[in-house]
Amino acid sequence: MTSDQRIPITVIGGYLGAGKTTLVNHVLRSTDERIAVIVNDFGEISIDEDLIVAADSDKLTLANGCICCSLAEGFSAALDTVRSAGVLPTRLLIEASGVADPNQIAAYGHTPGLALDAVVVLADAEQVRRQANHRWVADTVRIQLAAADLVVVNKIDLLAAPEDADALCDWLTGVANGATLVRASRAAVPMDVIFGPELREHAAGRSPSTVASSARAAHDTAEDVFESQTVVLDAPVPLPVIEALVANLPNGVARLKGLVQAAPPASADDANAAETAYLVEAIGKRTSMTPHATDPTQPPPRWAISLISHKGSLAPDWLESRLHERN
Amino acid sequence: MGTNQPFVIYPARRVITINPAYPFGEAVAVAGDRILGVGSTDELASWGEHRIDDCFAEHVIMPGFVEAHCHVMSGGLWNSTYVGYFDRRDPQGLLWPGCTSIDDVLERLAKAAADMSDDSQTLLAWGLDPIYFPGERLVASHLDTVTGDRPTLVLHASGHLATINSALMDRCGIDETATSPGVARGGDGLPNGELHEPAGMMLAGDAFVDMMKANRTEQARWRYANEARNAGHTLLTDLGTTQLWDPDQLNNWKKVTGDPAYPARVMVAMSNLFGAVADPAELAELCVQLKSEQSDKLRFGIVKLILDGSIQGFTARISWPHYYKPPPGHIGNGLWLTAPDQMADLVEPYHRAGLTVHCHCNGDEASEAFIDAVEEVLQRYPRWDHRHTVQHCQLTTPAQYRRMAALGMSANIFSNHIYYWGDQHRDVTVGPERAARMDACRTALDSGVSFSIHSDSPITPLGHLQTAWCAVNRVTASGQVLGPDERIGVPDALRAITIDAARQLKLDGEIGSIEAGKLADFAVLEDDPLSVDPMALRDIGVWGTVLGGELQPAQIGES
Repeated sequence: MTSDQRIPITVIGGYLGAGKTTLVNHVLRSTDERIAVIVNDFGEISIDEDLIVAADSDKLTLANGCICCSLAEGFSAALDTVRSAGVLPTRLLIEASGVADPNQIAAYGHTPGLALDAVVVLADAEQVRRQANHRWVADTVRIQLAAADLVVVNKIDLLAAPEDADALCDWLTGVANGATLVRASRAAVPMDVIFGPELREHAAGRSPSTVASSARAAHDTAEDVFESQTVVLDAPVPLPVIEALVANLPNGVARLKGLVQAAPPASADDANAAETAYLVEAIGKRTSMTPHATDPTQPPPRWAISLISHKGSLAPDWLESRLHERN
Repeated sequence: MGTNQPFVIYPARRVITINPAYPFGEAVAVAGDRILGVGSTDELASWGEHRIDDCFAEHVIMPGFVEAHCHVMSGGLWNSTYVGYFDRRDPQGLLWPGCTSIDDVLERLAKAAADMSDDSQTLLAWGLDPIYFPGERLVASHLDTVTGDRPTLVLHASGHLATINSALMDRCGIDETATSPGVARGGDGLPNGELHEPAGMMLAGDAFVDMMKANRTEQARWRYANEARNAGHTLLTDLGTTQLWDPDQLNNWKKVTGDPAYPARVMVAMSNLFGAVADPAELAELCVQLKSEQSDKLRFGIVKLILDGSIQGFTARISWPHYYKPPPGHIGNGLWLTAPDQMADLVEPYHRAGLTVHCHCNGDEASEAFIDAVEEVLQRYPRWDHRHTVQHCQLTTPAQYRRMAALGMSANIFSNHIYYWGDQHRDVTVGPERAARMDACRTALDSGVSFSIHSDSPITPLGHLQTAWCAVNRVTASGQVLGPDERIGVPDALRAITIDAARQLKLDGEIGSIEAGKLADFAVLEDDPLSVDPMALRDIGVWGTVLGGELQPAQIGES
């Protein structure tokens, strides 16, 4: 399996009015990556006009060259439409409807050629607790939150006091068991948190965090509270070390991504035992280690692991120290 | 005055007019596409120059049946092989006996495969209902024994699942490495050929897509109307299957209904079900525009919305205590397909444009949400005679019916469920008490809610004598009466399948009863529904229809 050839899918879910479309617009505005967008319900989509270069009856052509279309004719038809554009997308966003179970949409991530990256669920900071206790939609809203790898606690600036935000996040931590929580206003979440840290030597295409802060000073927002650390790996790392790292990530880690060479176990005396490359990813409760095929005709990739964490939650050398644990 | 044009008098065994002021006649006179009058042959002859046609002398003539909820795929699916549990007639009138065991299903598929000349062609089948084979499961290894290397896909009756054979799994690359939760696995941990929900079914690639595309053809539209004619229907409602903003689909309807031989009138609903290009206000505007383009045979003016799923699929929104014996792992209640607190805003533009909104509500939570939305919109924009309709209306409560009456709403009740799934509703989905009050025609009648009854074809077979039989007798497939107190009389049921269905569609001024001046649309029956034993209602033969004065004999094939 060559993970690097599959297009990563990000599912964007959350109840009506939580800010899903705002997040889609924010993403399209914040990166030059070739991102295609599939929406559950075309009637509701409102991509900002300056991000659109052409509008058809059944699709929009985005400024990045990719397509935005709907699930109207089913997912395979939507994929065909996406592929009909001149350029192939490097990422696919699927905006779920306001009542959809994001897990149902995430199931499309198992389509050949695609790979689910993360389920991002937005919560309206002002409304989500009321919605989660509403006589009719309580179960819908709770199912959505429980499906999240990353919960964007949106419109945090509308809360009266910072203590309210803390209480809300405590409550959300319980409902969205295991998900990473990010506070935001106008869905302004750093790209590294949505898509994971950039691994390439030159972060081609992705702008650095140029997100303008729209929050009131009293509230911490996403761009203020995350920091990253990266370890460049000069030598293969023993497989158990990588496995232990991924399995025991502390709560402060929002995302982790790495391209690593795993050293064969020390006991292996088989002459054929060679290093195996893995793409390692973690977001919320979702972790994966995917065998990574390297192309011998290309220069070797840059072996490294990066993580994004809540500011102050980890020692600056935490990742370094974990990777050099040798038992 | 009188009529200048020569007219035809059809003496009949009896004419049942569904006009309370003149309920029965000996004959009906037709001038062009309209009814000149009902009465005795002598009375009608006094209008002037005429011809007497005795072809219906032994028949009973009723107003043509009006189906206010079915789907055009009812015609398209017949490109595939029928493997459902119940007997069903295809649009050519051929009887397809029900497949009542997995062996029957396999035998049907084996024959279909043997009849195909091109070895590479995929065998498509539809209508499999595993709810009738408890404890057994049709899987790929079964299919392989009769289909060999021919790729095969069997769509389940629910539309939410499909079972494919090994050849199709191979072609689509579905193997032990499959990661999709939509790929079901057998006891050995390997994919067993069952694909769940769109995310799973789309892995079958073109096979699934081809099946859906077959619903868009002219042939599908013709078969849809042929099946209707064979059952005595003169008006069908395609409730939310057509994307009217797509010029191809719209023109396709205009083309077929423009053919004088096309044997039905069709009301095509505006729908946002499959993702519309426009917001509701734009769709409302388009629908109003289409009303100005309509013809005698092609009608517009209603809108389909959808709130929840199905009861037998455990996806309908049902209030506490929710489901009776849901399958293991069920989340507790059904699914909202539209956010309930969005409904009023969705209904508003259609309501303001003078259109009628028909909303799919299987569970009582869904009915409540729609009734709330209509009440809210009526407060914002009071409007007389909107006729907004709760579709399916399966678990609508007496209190909800009283609200519907107060708000001027209609009900279209899914009476066929009583027969086709009534046993399962009593034993599994909602339990005995609530099953007894499902599809509550008597409550609707007593509450003063105007109602129709429907088949939702292809979900259950089209045929209003069968649907009326369900509402009158409430007998399940196992032969038990479910909720006898919700039964209605035959005259009530006959109104529900004619004038009250037309009323729901705002066509009751033109069709739905046999009265001077109305369109000459008749169901021509071999026996009298008001005289036969109510349990024999569904066995009455249908000669065919008269549509706008044209005789449309049913096609009855050999079985």
